[in-house]
Amino acid sequence: MAQLASKERVLRLFKREPIDTMPCFSGQGMVTVPAIQSLGIRFPEIHLTPENMAGSAKKSMDMFEFDSIVVPFDMCTIPEAFGLPISIYEDSEDILYPTIPQKWRSPEEIVMPHDYLQRGRMPVVDKALNLLRDGAGKDKAIGSWILGPFTLAGQIVELDVLMKMTLKARSRVESLLDKLTELIIDLGKHYYAEGADYLNLREMGTGSDLLSPRLFKTMILPRLQKVFHAWDFPTVLHICGSTDLIAEMMAESGADAISVDHKNTLAETRKKVGDKMLLFGDYNGFTLPKKAAQEEISSSIQGCIDAGVDAVWPGCDIWPDVNEQNLLTINRHIKELGRSPSPAVGRL
Amino acid sequence: MAKEKLREELLKQLSDNVVSFDEDKVAEAAERVVAEGLDAYDAIINGLAAGMEIVGDLYDKHEYFVPELLMCADALYAGLDILKPHIKEKEGKETLKGQVVLGTVQGDVHDIGKNLIKMMFEVGGFTVHDLGRDVPLEKFVEEQVRTDSEIVALSAMMTTTMMGMKKVVEMIKEKNPQVLIMLGGAPVTNDVAKLFGADGYAESAGNAVQEAIKMIGRLRELQKK
Repeated sequence: MAQLASKERVLRLFKREPIDTMPCFSGQGMVTVPAIQSLGIRFPEIHLTPENMAGSAKKSMDMFEFDSIVVPFDMCTIPEAFGLPISIYEDSEDILYPTIPQKWRSPEEIVMPHDYLQRGRMPVVDKALNLLRDGAGKDKAIGSWILGPFTLAGQIVELDVLMKMTLKARSRVESLLDKLTELIIDLGKHYYAEGADYLNLREMGTGSDLLSPRLFKTMILPRLQKVFHAWDFPTVLHICGSTDLIAEMMAESGADAISVDHKNTLAETRKKVGDKMLLFGDYNGFTLPKKAAQEEISSSIQGCIDAGVDAVWPGCDIWPDVNEQNLLTINRHIKELGRSPSPAVGRL
Repeated sequence: MAKEKLREELLKQLSDNVVSFDEDKVAEAAERVVAEGLDAYDAIINGLAAGMEIVGDLYDKHEYFVPELLMCADALYAGLDILKPHIKEKEGKETLKGQVVLGTVQGDVHDIGKNLIKMMFEVGGFTVHDLGRDVPLEKFVEEQVRTDSEIVALSAMMTTTMMGMKKVVEMIKEKNPQVLIMLGGAPVTNDVAKLFGADGYAESAGNAVQEAIKMIGRLRELQKK
């Protein structure tokens, strides 16, 4: 049996075509401190130049035998391009992702410049995608991600304001979500054109520990469906937190795959969404790569596979300061234990 | 007797209108408590907090979610702002349960859970030292030492920021092992709380409220005895 190249393995998975073994990849951040250190740069620097962004992502893939490379790493690129100041924590030696200290207080204050793709670090992401596409991307799958409409709205408007408005000023929220949905559709197409092979829409602000399933159905799902209908390339919908109550609706979003975290009851979700839907999940991206004993890793990966996933994914960004042996073991176990067919994807 | 009936009626109004997140009606009932010379602390604990206890149950039953919690919190504050200045000195001494330092750790700007916890501590009569969000880790230690607070509550919404909490726990426990430390946020599990050496945890804004409600509930039970 011929071994597939990483990129082909990932892309065939999205097409539900038989593969040799389960790819180990993600649609969330998977940059690692060992990779960053080997490049002689500091954590805050990986967000600032195309070379550092692409370089640290590629190095992480190389060191830990991933099948894909994912950029960008932080959730502030779009808000920054809209004009909101961000904190990069340039002087910190800790692992601190960029944040937005002050957001707008109402949707009506938001400024969405037409040339936002030329602002802030948006060109950095584009160039990083280009570098990866023209380099490692020949053999490895390039992944990228965008926040979903509601989660992106919560990055630019204070979240408590936004949440309360879903009850008392819903039309204002809907109007904002419509604008962001259009922007996300265009940005996804743009990232695909710049080099991404697959896109993960991260709508993590809409799990049932935050919003009601009713609100998800009437306010969130229609926008997700619009995005995925417009995206003509491999796609994932990722929602972390409580997703048991909305798993079926996630599957109705039109995404090729859905991804959940460890708060989801995976086996039940598999039953709900059927065997044709690609299901990704759901190891803990902190405890398993950082703290778990080796035997715990094996049982955790096997648990995900037994529950019916088509790809074992971390439920969130992998905590960058990994135990190197742990992350290698995770990825090797995924490939070793993933040789049998999964519910939606056969084997060569 | 008439006064007791009035008390019960107003407590019910406070509780019901927190649940239905009607700020105006909560404020109206609170004003009447003050005007009738009723016990303000009683109204806070057995009216406002009792309402929030129902809200917590509704969250547990998946009938209420975070937007509803936030609206209920606004309604509660509408009453609390009116009633708090009227807690009598003697009652005040009885109700001062301690001090808590709270904040969202550096690198994290999500503060909904932190603000809900803050509200419940305020309802319970704690003196709250709110450091806000994106707080440098050393600041928690400095504030705990400065205020001699018994509790420090830390929040982080993302895996990528929760490691800061571990450092704070270590720094505080090193200086004062008696301080109780609560962790909150989506990535915080029982395992993580244990690993970090914390004394308690809540994994979501709703759970945080539930944990605080349990504390307030115990307080109410004690007061009935």
